[in-house]
Amino acid sequence: MSENAIISLRNISVDFDDERVLKSINLDIMDKEFITFLGPSGCGKTTTLRIIGGFVDPCEGDVFFEGKRINGLPPHKRHVNTVFQRYALFPHLNVYENIEFGLKISKLPERERRQRVMEALELVNLKGYERRGIHQLSGGQQQRVAIARAIVNQPKVLLLDEPLGALDLKLRKDMQVELKRIQQSLEITFIYVTHDQEEALTMSDRVVVMKDGNILQIGTPQDIYNEPTNAFVADFIGESNIIDGIMHKDFQVEFANDFFECVDKGFTPMERVQVVIRPEDLKIVSPEGAKITGVVESVIFKGVHYEIMVETLGYRWMIHNTQYVEPGTLIGMSVTPEDIHIMHRMEEEP
Amino acid sequence: MKFRYASAPYVVWSVIFVVVPLFLVVGFAFTDSSGQFTLDNISKVTTYTAVFMRSIWLSVIATVICLLVGYPLAFIMSRCLPSGQRTLTMLIMLPMWINFLLRTYAWMTILEHNGILNTILTTLGFQPLNMINTQGAVVLGMIYNYLPFMILPLYSIMTKISGSVIEAAQDLGANPFLVFARVILPLSMPGVTTGITMVFVPSVSTFIISRMLGGGSNMMIGDLIDAQFLGNAYNPNLGAAISLVLMVIILLFMSILNQFEDSEEKEGMMI
Repeated sequence: MSENAIISLRNISVDFDDERVLKSINLDIMDKEFITFLGPSGCGKTTTLRIIGGFVDPCEGDVFFEGKRINGLPPHKRHVNTVFQRYALFPHLNVYENIEFGLKISKLPERERRQRVMEALELVNLKGYERRGIHQLSGGQQQRVAIARAIVNQPKVLLLDEPLGALDLKLRKDMQVELKRIQQSLEITFIYVTHDQEEALTMSDRVVVMKDGNILQIGTPQDIYNEPTNAFVADFIGESNIIDGIMHKDFQVEFANDFFECVDKGFTPMERVQVVIRPEDLKIVSPEGAKITGVVESVIFKGVHYEIMVETLGYRWMIHNTQYVEPGTLIGMSVTPEDIHIMHRMEEEP
Repeated sequence: MKFRYASAPYVVWSVIFVVVPLFLVVGFAFTDSSGQFTLDNISKVTTYTAVFMRSIWLSVIATVICLLVGYPLAFIMSRCLPSGQRTLTMLIMLPMWINFLLRTYAWMTILEHNGILNTILTTLGFQPLNMINTQGAVVLGMIYNYLPFMILPLYSIMTKISGSVIEAAQDLGANPFLVFARVILPLSMPGVTTGITMVFVPSVSTFIISRMLGGGSNMMIGDLIDAQFLGNAYNPNLGAAISLVLMVIILLFMSILNQFEDSEEKEGMMI
């Protein structure tokens, strides 16, 4: 177990109706870090969060909190608080009473309660809303109440289950910044669950990429984006061109009917691999002498760049380019060796 | 208020079947048999105070027991899987398909001195119990007949309490008792008041149950009214006066209950 891990999961497995939804998960969560569980729906990220919250008991494995095993400890005895997916605010209480709920249960004196609720309201920018009923609030405001209600108890760890899922894009962006600010000012651990890769990359210190009950990769957002461990991670984190290739020897790979120089090594000679190239790393060059050529099929304006789809023999490439290209044109593509990422082939899923 | 034509059938209906009969009752209550205005009927009602008190007392007991039995049952039902919920609702509704009189009559044969229950007791070597024609039998009849009216409104309000709200309370440190006291109970209050009304009101005005299971000695308000209109005592004016007093009691009871519900809501608004 790592020295300053606040939560450690050891060989955690969970079955729901004979289906294994978590497959022997191991994870150390550090004190004061912002860690995100990222993956498609059904990957087990919410289940992992609920294990930490105490709402799901693992079938196998141990959960440690500050070094103590907490398997079977009911939620109300754990020093973590949760921001629920649909906020789960108490409809019979107003904003103030919702936030006060946990403090009242811990029997804090009235004066201290009031002070802490007011501080929490200030932190989430909801001062003056104390007397509002829950149904009088917008989605974004309800979200803030849910956050205030959790952090007012000064938990060591805050669990957030897709908290921004129900908000519109603009509000979501604002709240991402807001959440990061709150986490930094409180100096507590945030465990965040999302399926939105952009959200994960923006806010996290570390990202845990999950799929089908397994952890595929743990790393900083930069690691995950620049050095994905396999094609799934590459595809899930940002957009990618993923092509089958053959690694002839160190620093040389064959794909798209040609040989390319690359920076990867350590593969068995002639190993079948997957080649990942980010759309923004493909340069458009003149078709004469280019290693890859193809016909522009469609061009979509995406704001900062154009998303250009290029049809070649056997593969359809995506290029992000700031220059417009007329559909139907024959173009060439080039890529530098540093931007060619070689991955071991994933075991085929049944 | 603007008259809307779409509401015409409803207005006609309530005038014929609610407003007119109400005025008739009031008219009868304040006149004698020759049609002269009098307050005698109303003052005569006071001689039946004991009957009124008994009716209210027995109904309160029946309502409280219905609440104590129905509340946990409704909660368990609301946490079942949808298929289980349908089955349980069906089971609760099932006895109501049988005629009310017949159901109560069945209890007579169970509770009688030589009834089913006593036969079982004596064959097992116990002393037979005196069950029929007691207040206990009347209360039992009320509970049996009106329990579904307690469970169903409670159940329908409890299905609206989402599991995540309960989890949120646990997450914030509430033990099972506090989850109940701070979240489930306040959120189910509207169901509680509806359930109480739907059990207390028919209980307090019943006459079949008290007559069949209570014998002659446990007369209730309903029996009294029945006797004035259809029985030997025949005095519709007095009967109307008793009905009027009963109506006032029920209205009073409901306004007290509403007050309770309002204060709950206000409490929620206050800091």
